[in-house]
Amino acid sequence: MTDAKRRQGDKLTEAEAIERAKLGDAEAFHALYDLHRRRVYSLCLRMTGNTSSAEDLTQEAFLQLFRKIGTFRGESAFSTWLHRMSVNVVLMQLRKKNLPVVPLEETMEGDEEGTVRKEPGAPDERLAGSIDRLQLQRAVDELPPGYRTIFVLHDVEGYEHNEIADMVGCSIGNSKSQLHKARLKLRELLRMNRAEKAGKK
Amino acid sequence: MNCVEFERVLLEGEQTPEQRAHLNSCSACSNLLSDLQLISNQAKLLLASDEPSPAVWNALESRLRREGIIRRAEPSRRSFGDLFWRWRTAWLVPVAAALVIVGVLRLHHPAAAGDNAPIAKQSVAPPPVAAAVLSDDQQLLKTVASRPPAQRARYRTELDDANAFIRDAQDAIRNDPNDVYRQQMLINAYEQKEMLYQLAVDHVSEQ
Repeated sequence: MTDAKRRQGDKLTEAEAIERAKLGDAEAFHALYDLHRRRVYSLCLRMTGNTSSAEDLTQEAFLQLFRKIGTFRGESAFSTWLHRMSVNVVLMQLRKKNLPVVPLEETMEGDEEGTVRKEPGAPDERLAGSIDRLQLQRAVDELPPGYRTIFVLHDVEGYEHNEIADMVGCSIGNSKSQLHKARLKLRELLRMNRAEKAGKK
Repeated sequence: MNCVEFERVLLEGEQTPEQRAHLNSCSACSNLLSDLQLISNQAKLLLASDEPSPAVWNALESRLRREGIIRRAEPSRRSFGDLFWRWRTAWLVPVAAALVIVGVLRLHHPAAAGDNAPIAKQSVAPPPVAAAVLSDDQQLLKTVASRPPAQRARYRTELDDANAFIRDAQDAIRNDPNDVYRQQMLINAYEQKEMLYQLAVDHVSEQ
């Protein structure tokens, strides 16, 4: 069975695609792109909130990766390598545009009032059961850039606070604090959205 | 513990007995915690949830080709399966390999290539081997003449790119013949063309 017939039956595995890409094989590059494009694009879109920027950054992330593919030795997972590169590409872009990567305030110290306010007579309503992906997506897009970065990296992409601190250049405490504020902000946005919909009915 | 204190220690993640006691007595904080956990859990819905337009790959592929990172075209789905064609095109591989040998010879042994002057002082007029190369390019194009128009165009484009790469590398060598990087660049340029010839042969053998 020729190589061509084997490929028609079985898609290239990631390991095969990487080795062939090192030789400059177009099909291999395409295979690697197909395997990871959604993850990279979604990350860029979530962090920028803009489809045009996200597409440009996706292209840039893959371009940087493919330029260096000859140096990949398999010490870590390829997806990890690509993912980290994508995050760096987005963060560099945010910095170039002077957008805050992390908000300036450090911790919640000094915020004596807190965010849980008791209003006499106000019903305590939960969000449980009333969030869908589209609602959450829109709310994330409305977050300030600094909050959005931390929320996307931690809750969406699964990075730990020590990794986030290293990537964005903040302290672990700052990362935790900003994540909490991002979630509070999202809660507020989602409740407002629900109240608007209820008002329209 | 009041609500402000509760929220402050919420950052740490693990619940203390004090926090649990407060949760049991405070519906506002209980709802807050529940909502924040829901938001965090639902965030995974946004992972890999969107699709870039096809234009992203098209633009990426163009750049990869321009930079010479993609050096081989995608294999054709068309079947030839003909030993005659294989024989007809088998000469392409040794010819292309000869290009690499000639290129290396001219780098290290200009006299052996029929020229006593250093590379930087060689005449601009193409030597006989270059004329043979041009003829071989025409032969390659004739070989792929029966393929679909898009494929023929791609071969022509890649051949032009490979020749441009060789010319650029030769120009660079003339400016600094002792530069090891430029020497390697010239070898890479010939190898790129050799891979194109090899690809033409591979297409014939893939049946």
